[in-house]
Amino acid sequence: MSDLSNLDFNSMTAAEFEQYLPELFASGESGRLSEDPRLSRFLAANPDCAALVRDLETIAETAKSLLVPDQDEPSDALWSKIANKLQQGTDDNDEPVDLSK
Amino acid sequence: MGLQGLQTMQTKPNAGLFKRNPPIAGEAEAIERAKNGDPDAFSKLYSLHKRRVYTLCLRMLGNVSEAEDMTQEAFLHLFRKLGSFRGESAFSTWLHRLTVNLVLMHLRKKGLQLVSLEETINPSEEDAPKRDFGSRDTQLAGSVDRVTLERAVASLPPGYRMVFVLHDVEGFEHNEIATMLECSTGNSKSQLHKARLKLRELLRHPDQVPETESSREVVQ
Repeated sequence: MSDLSNLDFNSMTAAEFEQYLPELFASGESGRLSEDPRLSRFLAANPDCAALVRDLETIAETAKSLLVPDQDEPSDALWSKIANKLQQGTDDNDEPVDLSK
Repeated sequence: MGLQGLQTMQTKPNAGLFKRNPPIAGEAEAIERAKNGDPDAFSKLYSLHKRRVYTLCLRMLGNVSEAEDMTQEAFLHLFRKLGSFRGESAFSTWLHRLTVNLVLMHLRKKGLQLVSLEETINPSEEDAPKRDFGSRDTQLAGSVDRVTLERAVASLPPGYRMVFVLHDVEGFEHNEIATMLECSTGNSKSQLHKARLKLRELLRHPDQVPETESSREVVQ
């Protein structure tokens, strides 16, 4: 893992910054990288990097909205298949489950 | 990692996943009844969790038929192993991890290498994100359409998609993903970053994002 504590972002090139980005995002998961005060000067001086950071943050934030429960459903027949398998016992060590009670 | 690993991992509850998986009314009672072999309780647990399990399988596999098969496997495994559930994490978290691990084992059996170090170091021309910053005038406009993102995720190479889904969608941490995918945490971080870069490319040209079977099914 890269040690980020001694980095001087103000003297960093855009290419160097990109090399550290995976680790920076991983270390700053509780907050937005675009609002990290250590990076404010660098990002102000490198608008392309600032745009990249904002875009990646947007993607990560939108991804959370994909965790929407109840949006898809398996076919109605699936429970019957599962219940049948449970009644049969699905491997040699399984006791059949009586689902007819 | 096999399911033994799953049981080891779930001894340390993940506060984030607890928060994202609050207990469901009637669930605790159904679990206890199911442990005692009550068939109605099995059915209740299936009804409560089938959509979440199926959606997860569909997103990871990108194939409706395989997603149904793995949903079946997940619930069969759940019912066989329910006695080992100790309530140290939310039940839905436990079931979620069980499902993820079954899907990963299934993919390995199919011969899919989930996270390739080679891919990280030397990605193929077609799959790798471009190593430039892009022009600012086409940057994403502060928000991304969920439907388009879902479609873009479905079109990612499998290794990138798996890490992105596990981390950014499902909320697993890099050390957990590294354990599940049998790679280093550094590799997990790198794959996630490349996945996001690839998504950025795709989202800047949403009309070019291919529609896949998974995105047709997942996005309603």
